[in-house]
Amino acid sequence: MIAFDLALAAGILLCAVSALTRRDRTASVAAFMVLGLLVALSWVRLAAPDVALAEAAIGAGLTGALFLRAARRLGPLRPAAGRTLAVPAALVASGLGGGLAWVFASASPPAIYAPLVAASLPESGVSNPVTAVLLNFRAWDTLLEIAVLVVALLVANLLGSRRLVPVSLGEMTLPFARIVAPISILLAGHLLWQGSSAPGGAFQAGAVLAGGLLALVLAGLAPTGTLVVRGALIAGLSGLAVFLIAALGSEALTGSLLGYPNRAEKVWIVAIEAALTLSIAATLCLLFTGFEKRKTS
Amino acid sequence: MTTLPSVLGTGLIAAGVGFLAVAAIGFWRLPDLLSRLHVLTKADTAGLSLVALGAACLTGTPASILPLGLCVLLTAISGATVGHLVARSVTPRGGRS
Repeated sequence: MIAFDLALAAGILLCAVSALTRRDRTASVAAFMVLGLLVALSWVRLAAPDVALAEAAIGAGLTGALFLRAARRLGPLRPAAGRTLAVPAALVASGLGGGLAWVFASASPPAIYAPLVAASLPESGVSNPVTAVLLNFRAWDTLLEIAVLVVALLVANLLGSRRLVPVSLGEMTLPFARIVAPISILLAGHLLWQGSSAPGGAFQAGAVLAGGLLALVLAGLAPTGTLVVRGALIAGLSGLAVFLIAALGSEALTGSLLGYPNRAEKVWIVAIEAALTLSIAATLCLLFTGFEKRKTS
Repeated sequence: MTTLPSVLGTGLIAAGVGFLAVAAIGFWRLPDLLSRLHVLTKADTAGLSLVALGAACLTGTPASILPLGLCVLLTAISGATVGHLVARSVTPRGGRS
């Protein structure tokens, strides 16, 4: 397998170079998306399927879609643009890379955290250690991550990004959207439920659901009225609201913030994750489609 | 263990990888976008289906066959649709309208 790993690492580096050196934005984004998929594959090789799922769905898929949309809005690359920044950027990047390499080389083996998680896993209510950490032991971190997503949504809304008006893609895309959208809903539910015992969870499920919704939007099958956008905005904000209510509720019930009541941990975790899934899907969709009604590409 | 399913599975995966290799070579060697699309969409779908069939033979459990089938279905339909859209974007007036 060492040959495969080496080829994978070389492929990742090649994609990164290609993404940085292309003079065409679309080609750069395509290289970035392939990079994301290869990185996801490397997470699988590192035995981190949760990260691999998130990287494939969010890192490669939805970030790539957002980049493509931004690239379309920015227009073609100016010939000499970015040359002056190349040297400082290379310095910063190699400094960061060197720092990470140094930390990695000097760090003691990560023997502290994993056994601790494994020892307290039965108390968490779920059997997937990643979900136990994200939604129970370190739920506070996840709460703040969702707050970051809400801030992104609000800033995009304030800046008034123009709403996407999908051009007709023809009848051939209709069967695609009609098959992909229901499957993405099923898959999101599956990932959400599976998250408590196996790789999966709210972020992966939300990204998959957003992908299915975007297929509907791009095929022109989804309603895009102002009411729908407002509803999606409320759905996007609701994840943080539910999480906060859960935090305050657990504070009232057990006396510790996000310390769920005994033996009901799984119900709390799955309920929070379900709200987060919808909210993440709505947020990612809105970031792609934009908010204000103005004709644009 | 050289049982019939394992031999069959390995053979199918090898055939699928062969199809994918032909698709890659075709993508590299063919001159223009439409012929490249032609080789990618067909050979990719066939190659992936064969690999999935081989993997299903190797594992042999219904729980693994369902996701593999779903992979094949999704790749086939998205490959065909994206191929159509790319071809449509280069033909005049967005295809025959």
